[in-house]
Amino acid sequence: MRDAITLQTRAGHWLVALLVLGGLVFAVVGFATGDTFYLRLATEALIFGGLALSVDILLGYTGLLSLGQALYFGLGAYVSALALIAWQSFWAAIGASLAAALVCGLAGGLIANRVRGVYFALITFGMAQVLAKAVYNTRALGASDGLIGVPVLDINLGLFSVSSASPVGFFLFVLAVTVLFYVLAAYLLDTPFGRLLIALKANENRVLFIGYRTSTLRLGSYLVAAVIATLSGALYPMLRGFASPELLFFSTSGNAVITVILGGVGTLVGALYGSVLLTIVKSVVGSWTEHHLIVIGLIFMAVVVLLPKGLMGLVQPALVSVLGRGSRR
Amino acid sequence: MLDYLQFVLTPQIVTGLALGVAVILVALGLTIIFGLLDVINMSHGEFYALGAFIALALGQVGLPFWALLFAVPILMLPIGYLVERGLIQRVFHSKDRHITTLLLTFGFALVLEDALRLVFGPNPYKPETPIRGAVEVLGTYLPLYRLFMVAIGGLVIVGTALIVYRTRLGAMVRAAAFDRNMAASLGVPVERVYAGAFAFGVALAGLAGVLLAPIYSVFPTMGRDFILLAFTVIIVGGMGSIGGAVIAGLFLTQVQAISSLYISPVWADPIVFGIMVIMLVVRPQGLRGGLGHA
Amino acid sequence: MLRLKSTLAALSVSAMLSGTAIAADPIKIGVVTPLSGTYAGIGQQVRWGLELATKELNATGGIMGRQIELIFEDEEANPSVAVQKAEKLFQVSKVDFLTGTVNSGSTLAVGQLAERSDKLIATTVSFADSITGDKCSPNVFRVNAKAGQQSAALAAWLVKAKPQAKVYYLGPDYEMGRSTVAAFKSNVDRVGGQSLGEVFAPLDSKDYTQYFGQLRAARPQVLYTSVAGNDTVRLLTQLQEFGLLEGLTILGASGTVTAQNIAAIGKAVEGFVTGVGYTAEIDTPENKKFVAAFQAANKADPDLYGADSYGLIYAYKAAVDKANSTETAKVRDALRGLAWDTPQGKKTIRAGDHQAEQIMYVVQVTGGKFKIVAQVAAADAIGPDVCTRF
Repeated sequence: MRDAITLQTRAGHWLVALLVLGGLVFAVVGFATGDTFYLRLATEALIFGGLALSVDILLGYTGLLSLGQALYFGLGAYVSALALIAWQSFWAAIGASLAAALVCGLAGGLIANRVRGVYFALITFGMAQVLAKAVYNTRALGASDGLIGVPVLDINLGLFSVSSASPVGFFLFVLAVTVLFYVLAAYLLDTPFGRLLIALKANENRVLFIGYRTSTLRLGSYLVAAVIATLSGALYPMLRGFASPELLFFSTSGNAVITVILGGVGTLVGALYGSVLLTIVKSVVGSWTEHHLIVIGLIFMAVVVLLPKGLMGLVQPALVSVLGRGSRR
Repeated sequence: MLDYLQFVLTPQIVTGLALGVAVILVALGLTIIFGLLDVINMSHGEFYALGAFIALALGQVGLPFWALLFAVPILMLPIGYLVERGLIQRVFHSKDRHITTLLLTFGFALVLEDALRLVFGPNPYKPETPIRGAVEVLGTYLPLYRLFMVAIGGLVIVGTALIVYRTRLGAMVRAAAFDRNMAASLGVPVERVYAGAFAFGVALAGLAGVLLAPIYSVFPTMGRDFILLAFTVIIVGGMGSIGGAVIAGLFLTQVQAISSLYISPVWADPIVFGIMVIMLVVRPQGLRGGLGHA
Repeated sequence: MLRLKSTLAALSVSAMLSGTAIAADPIKIGVVTPLSGTYAGIGQQVRWGLELATKELNATGGIMGRQIELIFEDEEANPSVAVQKAEKLFQVSKVDFLTGTVNSGSTLAVGQLAERSDKLIATTVSFADSITGDKCSPNVFRVNAKAGQQSAALAAWLVKAKPQAKVYYLGPDYEMGRSTVAAFKSNVDRVGGQSLGEVFAPLDSKDYTQYFGQLRAARPQVLYTSVAGNDTVRLLTQLQEFGLLEGLTILGASGTVTAQNIAAIGKAVEGFVTGVGYTAEIDTPENKKFVAAFQAANKADPDLYGADSYGLIYAYKAAVDKANSTETAKVRDALRGLAWDTPQGKKTIRAGDHQAEQIMYVVQVTGGKFKIVAQVAAADAIGPDVCTRF
């Protein structure tokens, strides 16, 4: 038996496979033409796609809109940058970021999960503002100038190693990591834990009545989202060589929300496609007018009103019906 | 000691009061819109900026300040009405109204802010202060315009409360907030009441723009200035409560004023935010109940 | 941008028709500057300055007989965007040189990218000392005056104009604002002034009146501030509203009052004093010619950002002519120690840290315009070379 949610998840897997395929083709073309810029731009799009994925876990599955997910992205970027400067080790940077994500995610989750709905949105917004201000003011973190001087590093993966300076190598690495995030999120949401989150979104009281502690469930999803956002942020200084307080600003959180809405809420894969799409739109519109916010704002509003399921809302139903037909046989 | 009291503490409290009235003016429209429509208007700050820019443009063609106090809110009414009917209503009945309308108004804020920059350019403007001069009360120096702003602001706040709580129109608004279907079946034109209340909230933001422009100057990103504080005020005061917004607005700005004196100005914002968090945890409904309950 | 390209194309066509020899490829200069956001006004001046110099040079044969092409990208005053756009210009547009970054974070981040891509950049706006100080880079040059030069010039004026002045400080509460105040304070203490106290207001403060009590109680003769942009408009007009400007001289960092906000401040700006590397009032034939050309092209006066950006194109031309190449290593060698003429006088790039030395001016607002009240020789303002990376 396959229920609707399973089918949707399946459809998502196919779309991720398509994204990976597209990524591989892109990498080959990029490598053959000796490109640097587009490969690294795509890498950045994937990194921000990871951030958007974490927003979707909260918004699409638990019904919590975070307007401050940049808090964790920036946390990852700064912790990773500091660790890389100190030890030049990928695994040390990831380990430190993970530890920071768990500690801060738990603390932030305990505060933010006391409330829901718009209050949750405003409280996450406020927490990110406070941290951004603190970083902006801290000389040891480079204050308003940010942290520069993050070294180029070789990522030792046991069998082989990837240089963060190699456009195609690092692109493939980030693609793999992003898919890993997706798989992790999709797996978790397919477990009983994930199904309870979806139930929670639909009707919190009923979940309570069947005897689950909804606060623990919501904290769990908050923590997963925090970890994915932090680890995505940890990749940023490896790509660009610096971390700046702007990564913590509302524009970063807001962009992640726009990405998820464009791509499609509650689809996970929509976050990744949305990020690629937004990057393309920005670079096209950006070289055409400096008033790109008008264009992006209008597109965003149109999607909210006309396409509540975003880009994936156009694609996924068709795929679901194809998959559904296959399963009935 | 007396010197300190006279020069430092008293002015701090008095200027804190003026700031408090300014914040309440911005928060008032926000809380009415939330109380009635259950909509978080993320573009409220940009409507405040729009009001200030309309005042600036009309002032440049020669309209006197006194006329602007009426002209700008009146011009903002149809804008607000159209935004409610044309945008908000389109997603009003979606499953998750809070989040969908928040997103929609967030998008609208992006567009509006950039449009203001497109029309007026990125640089700041400063309208002439309409009332010059100052008085000294007990050695505290008080510019007349600030006193005027506090007085007019107070009148607007009291007037709004009277409209909402003492008129037939207000009763309709409160009825619609309390129970939409019941109000509709009693013959309240709910749709129009909603759009009207949104327009009224937007007009209040515009009025705040006119009043505050001579003090805080005018530029495209000015809408971001007050919005976090205004949200904090309506959360602490209780979403949809006019009285709560007034109490919270005065209280929080005093906390800011005093804490920036004794701790450090940079801690003023985190302290106010901390109060909001504590409030949400201890008493999520805020100080006072919403529009339909008071 | 499109319009610019077409004018340049028209210029090159007309150059061809008139028979001037030109090489096939133009020299490309990338400009990553804020065209939107808070710093859009500064980006506009940068653009105007660069365009004017480019137009002038192209009309007289360009650089090494090649035309100059400017390629603009909007950095949104955000280092993440700046780096992305700079990489596009380096890798896709293959620019020979890059400039335009405004906030210090963008300049530092783009500088690092330039170092890793083996390209050269120059800033004409960022004034954080660290750019040519402890975070200096062999690939980064600065042709505008840094914070230290501005502060030294202002202090030198203060000791003559108001000996033993009683000074109060009001800065924006972030690292750069605090360090600017600290630098000026040490200058004041050095020249025998008296520091009465300091207060730091959050960035983007709405209301500065809450600090006026402390200010009034301290009774200073001089107020030094390092706020900028919209914050200055609010600070100065609110000081005026509260009657505090009488008998008080306001000094500021060079970004405090600029062409972007001076109109909005209105009468409250009268008497404001600052140290700058450029003002449109400089009374030399070169500058008069520059100001006239700038006004004709843009219907606005140049400010320091426009002038420093204008001068940069001439520095680049001088360096490329000297090196007879656009290769990074050769141009870098040519830029080191380069002396060239600008509307603001002769500038020299110090080889040790890539900071331009220049005459500094102390200017005071009189009748809504900056008037020069003192000059400080280049050598007295520049300060020691603390760059150790090259």
